[in-house]
Amino acid sequence: MNSEYLIPAIVALPALGAVAINIFNKAQEDAMRMFAIAVSAVTFFLTLQVWVNFDSTVAGMQMVTDWDWIANWNIRFKVGVDGISLPLVMLTSGISLLALMASKSITKAVKGYLILFLLLESGMLGVFVSLDFFLFYIFWEVMLLPMYFLIGIWGGPRREYAAIKFFLYTLVGSVLMLIAMLMFYFNSGRSFDLLYLARVGQGLEQGYGFDQTTQLIAFILLFIGFAIKLPAFPFHTWLPDAHVEAPTPISMILAGVLLKMGGYGIIRIAFPLCPYGAQTAAWALVAIGAWSIIYGAFAALAQTDFKRLVAYSSVSHMGYVLIGMGVWSISEATGAGVNLQYWQMGLNGAMFQMIAHGVSSAGMFFMVGVIYDRVHHRDLNKFGGLIGKMPLYGGLSIGLFFAGLGLPGLCGFIGEVFVVLSSWQYSKALAILAASGVILTAGYILWAIQRVYLGPEYKGPHPEAITPIEPREAAIASILLIFAIWFGIYPSTMLDVMDGSIAELVQSMDEGYQRVADIAAVSLNQ
Amino acid sequence: MDYQTTGETIKTLLTLAWLLPLLGFAVEIFAGYWQRDRLSKAAAQMAVGCIGLGFLFSSWALMTYVQATGWNERYEHESAHHKELVAAIEEGKPLPGHGHHEEGHGDGHHDDAHHEHEEGHHEEKHHDGEHKAEESEKQTAITPKDAALAQFAIADPIAAEKPDSEHAEHAEHGHEEHGHDHEEDAEAKHEGPAVFSGVYYRLAKFGDLEINIEYYIDTLTLVMFTMVTFIATCIHIFAMGYMSDELTDEYVDHEAHYANGKHVHRPGRFYKFFAFLSLFCFSMLGLVIAGNIFQVFVFWELVGVCSYFLIGFYVERKSASTAANKAFIMNRVGDFGFLIGLMAIWTTFGTFKFAEPDLAHADKPAGLFQMIRTPGGELDVDEEAGVVYLQDGHGGRLKNDEGLPASMPYWLLVVAGLGVFGGCIGKSAQFPLQTWLPDAMEGPTPVSALVHSATMVAAGVYLAGRFYPMFTPEVLLVIAYVGAITLFVAATIAMVVTDLKQVLAYSTISQLGYMMLGLGIFGWAAGLFHLVTHAFFKSLLFLCSGSVIAACHHEQEMPKMGGLIRKLPITGSAMLVGVIAIAGLSVPGVSFGVIGYILLILGLLFALFDIYKRERTKLPLVATLVVVGLMLSYTGLANAKAAFSGFHSKDAIVATALTYFKMNPAHLLLFILPLITAGLTAFYMFRLWFYTFLGKPRDEHLYDHCHESPLVMTGPLVALSVLAAICAVGGEGGKLFVMLSESAPAMTHAVMAGVGSTVSLNLPGHIDVLTNHSSAGNLATIAAVTGTLIAFVIYGLGLINPADIKSSLKGVHSYLSHKWYFDELYDTMFMKPAHIVARFCAAIDKYVFDAFLHWLSRATLWISKWDRLFDEKFVDGLVNLLGAATFRVGGSFRKLQTGQLRQYVMFIAVAVVTLSVVLFVWFPH
Repeated sequence: MNSEYLIPAIVALPALGAVAINIFNKAQEDAMRMFAIAVSAVTFFLTLQVWVNFDSTVAGMQMVTDWDWIANWNIRFKVGVDGISLPLVMLTSGISLLALMASKSITKAVKGYLILFLLLESGMLGVFVSLDFFLFYIFWEVMLLPMYFLIGIWGGPRREYAAIKFFLYTLVGSVLMLIAMLMFYFNSGRSFDLLYLARVGQGLEQGYGFDQTTQLIAFILLFIGFAIKLPAFPFHTWLPDAHVEAPTPISMILAGVLLKMGGYGIIRIAFPLCPYGAQTAAWALVAIGAWSIIYGAFAALAQTDFKRLVAYSSVSHMGYVLIGMGVWSISEATGAGVNLQYWQMGLNGAMFQMIAHGVSSAGMFFMVGVIYDRVHHRDLNKFGGLIGKMPLYGGLSIGLFFAGLGLPGLCGFIGEVFVVLSSWQYSKALAILAASGVILTAGYILWAIQRVYLGPEYKGPHPEAITPIEPREAAIASILLIFAIWFGIYPSTMLDVMDGSIAELVQSMDEGYQRVADIAAVSLNQ
Repeated sequence: MDYQTTGETIKTLLTLAWLLPLLGFAVEIFAGYWQRDRLSKAAAQMAVGCIGLGFLFSSWALMTYVQATGWNERYEHESAHHKELVAAIEEGKPLPGHGHHEEGHGDGHHDDAHHEHEEGHHEEKHHDGEHKAEESEKQTAITPKDAALAQFAIADPIAAEKPDSEHAEHAEHGHEEHGHDHEEDAEAKHEGPAVFSGVYYRLAKFGDLEINIEYYIDTLTLVMFTMVTFIATCIHIFAMGYMSDELTDEYVDHEAHYANGKHVHRPGRFYKFFAFLSLFCFSMLGLVIAGNIFQVFVFWELVGVCSYFLIGFYVERKSASTAANKAFIMNRVGDFGFLIGLMAIWTTFGTFKFAEPDLAHADKPAGLFQMIRTPGGELDVDEEAGVVYLQDGHGGRLKNDEGLPASMPYWLLVVAGLGVFGGCIGKSAQFPLQTWLPDAMEGPTPVSALVHSATMVAAGVYLAGRFYPMFTPEVLLVIAYVGAITLFVAATIAMVVTDLKQVLAYSTISQLGYMMLGLGIFGWAAGLFHLVTHAFFKSLLFLCSGSVIAACHHEQEMPKMGGLIRKLPITGSAMLVGVIAIAGLSVPGVSFGVIGYILLILGLLFALFDIYKRERTKLPLVATLVVVGLMLSYTGLANAKAAFSGFHSKDAIVATALTYFKMNPAHLLLFILPLITAGLTAFYMFRLWFYTFLGKPRDEHLYDHCHESPLVMTGPLVALSVLAAICAVGGEGGKLFVMLSESAPAMTHAVMAGVGSTVSLNLPGHIDVLTNHSSAGNLATIAAVTGTLIAFVIYGLGLINPADIKSSLKGVHSYLSHKWYFDELYDTMFMKPAHIVARFCAAIDKYVFDAFLHWLSRATLWISKWDRLFDEKFVDGLVNLLGAATFRVGGSFRKLQTGQLRQYVMFIAVAVVTLSVVLFVWFPH
């Protein structure tokens, strides 16, 4: 396929699939499911094409498509991938496919569910490939609505509350993002082009520039918007509710993909557009990250709801993403970056952590879902002995939970440890705080494993419903576990793709910061 | 073979030995899961095959090393040298065997010598320096002559340029000899120790920063590989017998109960056990072969998780899974420190690599050890600035980007050292993280043998030894004190516990303390020497206890045993070997040859007795005595001192401790504690043996049903007891010690005085230790004999009733049997607060953040109510734009939602408008 159409095709395909599902009769549930899975599989195959054609030696955008869209407002349909977005695109299409396979447990209004799911997939893919801020914003909102309904209709008992909470939190974020977007638009000669805006933000365009105050304000607005999605303390309280109420496949998507949009937004938009704001706020990023790790881990330790525990573990794990992004040290005297290699490592670690968390948390939520589908409760104190009754399920679960725990040899470790190692040069105290997370993480995960999988017998209701894991479920879990192991022992698979773009980002941000800081010095002198 | 070929061969062999168990794990776990019934032993055979091959490959690698580097000649040289030294020292002393008061005299003499030593210290140091300079000149002079040697000299800059104090004295002599050798057969053979290092694959690279999976092979690696694979093989074979009750589809677990009180029934998990054993061996070997500290951390954690699975093997038992959790989490506490150390190292050095043997190829960067220490093994400290200058590995200072000498704060180096040592504390169950190890006895006994004596806990000591050059004198002092406290605390507890495996668990902690102490007081080789000997006799002891426990149908309480030697002669004798070894008993002034003759005579007597009685009951005993007697008298052992392995290694540590104390009188505890504990060790170990094997059976039922284990279990016992007895033959002049010493960091060869920027310590050199060796050895032997006698009087002869002692020392006893209340303390100090904080965090989310949101929504509702009133009453008929919008949005969601949505949307709308107004007013751009 012509590479110009490849990425638009990837974004459009699930949406077209969603439209096409309308031709099915409501009763043909299995056929519809198969069709949706096929659409998603083709999408995954297309993203695989992108992966194969991707040249990791090139740092910049590749396979860029740039079409006029709303010419009056200078809005363009511009999409493309680089080393930062490509792994996330792969993650999105992969997790979506697995989540659709896991959607067999959905029996209510299947048609509507599948339509919304495919729309959601389009939205998510669109977010990760957009190179136009307006387009990005559109996809961000496109993704929001299906998610709202997917939680609100197919969720658990408190689904409406959770859905509204999710919706409003995200909406607040998008509103802040909208304001920042307009600030950029009007300060850059009316452009939404992210690559161009980045050049403006880094002081590379004559005649335009975002001054220090603009950068700081815009960065804070964007950061709050993305931190809500990430989620970081104190914007995280929507997450446990949304996760607990969402049906299993949607939890997989939420944890596996949606949370990554927060991190992606920061690294794709907030950072390059406002290097000055980013540098000024870096300490806050790292501090919030470190605090989220500890806070999330403690909160997870106190949960009695299995899914809530996993949800809080996400808060904890995504804290590493913030730290990795924020460890940008500069020399106070010159403004030049110091230890930039370590920041580069931190960013790589943060990106890797997003992928790793996408794999492990999707796996963990799926495993919770498997047992929930059988016994219809999630009370940690009313499980036990599952490894005896469902040995394969128990084994796969423990593998995935250990991936979440950050055990070496599994994906979670690489991201966490790279981030932590890179953070010492930035702030020793915060690095130590972040590193202490390893103890708490081990605590809540092992305790959960003990209560759910170990022990002599199952203590909860519906013991008769506990049947061995089905091949379909085992396949999903195995695929996730295989990736968890693969990324754990051979992280270069992802890092080699990411590093080129990240290295360039680091360099351009460093230079951009110095330029913007200098502008200020000059203007002060005048 | 040249350096490259040798390196490749050894690397390939060790890599195979390392990866085979992983292959085994994969096959065992999958094939085991899909097998039809639980009756197949295939998993065990696979596991034994993998680890057994691993042992073969490891020994092959060791042999290759010995051959290719001409190790035997070096050994002869070292050994002869050692004997010369010992003889020289003994000449200046009263003759041995003059009794105790002479001992005191000897001590006085030493003190005098010590004062002289101190007075002349400065001079001596200077002298030393001269030697060093001379030697390094020689090195450089020799190096270019001989290309092959050069390769080797470069191959190990640390070892090759050691200003060995011992060598220093014989510098002229030794080096002429060496040089000569090289000129003669330079092409054919390489002399000198060698280190091989290289990369398997790259994990990540950021700019110049690179993290790899690599290997680092020196004699320590080789010895560890051989030791671990051998012991693991024995344990695997033993486990085939011990775990055979898992070979069933219906296993009854008598210690796990359903809610209705019945025993748990489950399918056997034979294959799973062996799969995890294999995975464990893979992790441990990966840790040993690791070429950088990051990789050590990776396998460190993997070892931890394997032990988690093995300790918690009986998943149905709450106690087992709790013990497994405890082990893992307490290890993680240590790993937290490890991680801090890693961060400090990574940020300062930008590399994790231990050392680069091939520095001649200048493009290769130096490793950590080469950066932190000069080729002579010293820290390049600027005390005024409080910094350490980094080295470039070629004898100069490392330059940073601006061309200035690169340095790091001294305190940071201390932090890094303490951090990494924190990991060792966790893994090796040192004070204050020692409490997980006794609980870990919940695992099946072969696990205790493998995980908790020879390998996992040994990893901490191994790392402390491997990472030695990074430790400053302050850190070493901490290591020494941690070791000293641990060895004493654990030994006191071991005296009162009555569970067979618990005694061994505490003795393990105590012995690990000895190793740490040895390392901390500058006895690098002594500490690691004890690591290896301990591995043999402790795995032997654990397997023997396993054999006893299996024989007694899983009874572990010693008070129910007694007199078992008659039922379990092989196990009992093997255990006696282990007990003697750990107690450090020896027969002063007697060689193995003499003992051999005594055994032969005993054998003859028993044979005559049998003939006289016309029966054959003592035939096996006679045969054993004759075989052992012949082996002792007519092999290379005949001239060796009559002592088992533990004696030599513990002796080395106690001698170092005595020397250390004499040179640093402030640190009396570092000598007194290990000395007292030597007595305690003998006491509790013999107590265990007497309790179990001698006396009258205390539980007749148990005794009657007790039976000796099958060959598959006793075989490994015999193999291990042979090694536990003789692996350290020759002591510090023996092969094992010399082999280990070859990897000793250069710093251990320098006599260092007054080192350290915050503490002033005199670190003992090899000669100093040798000078004190015999007096320390005598003291330790006296302590051990005393302990043994007391145990014999109380538990062997039964002259004193232990219950009387218990009641007269009630307070002490209860304190000790509560294990110094560490568990209770940690529970109160950490566990409970952690759960309180956790609940607090969860409550904040619920009662602060969410409550705030709910309050906001109510407030919005209230405002909108008034807004509506206002609209209806005062702006009657006029529809406010905002209100209409709110209504429309609200209306569209009404079908789905309860009224709350409107409040939220209202709130959002108001908030957005306000924010936009504020922003666009303040920042109109």
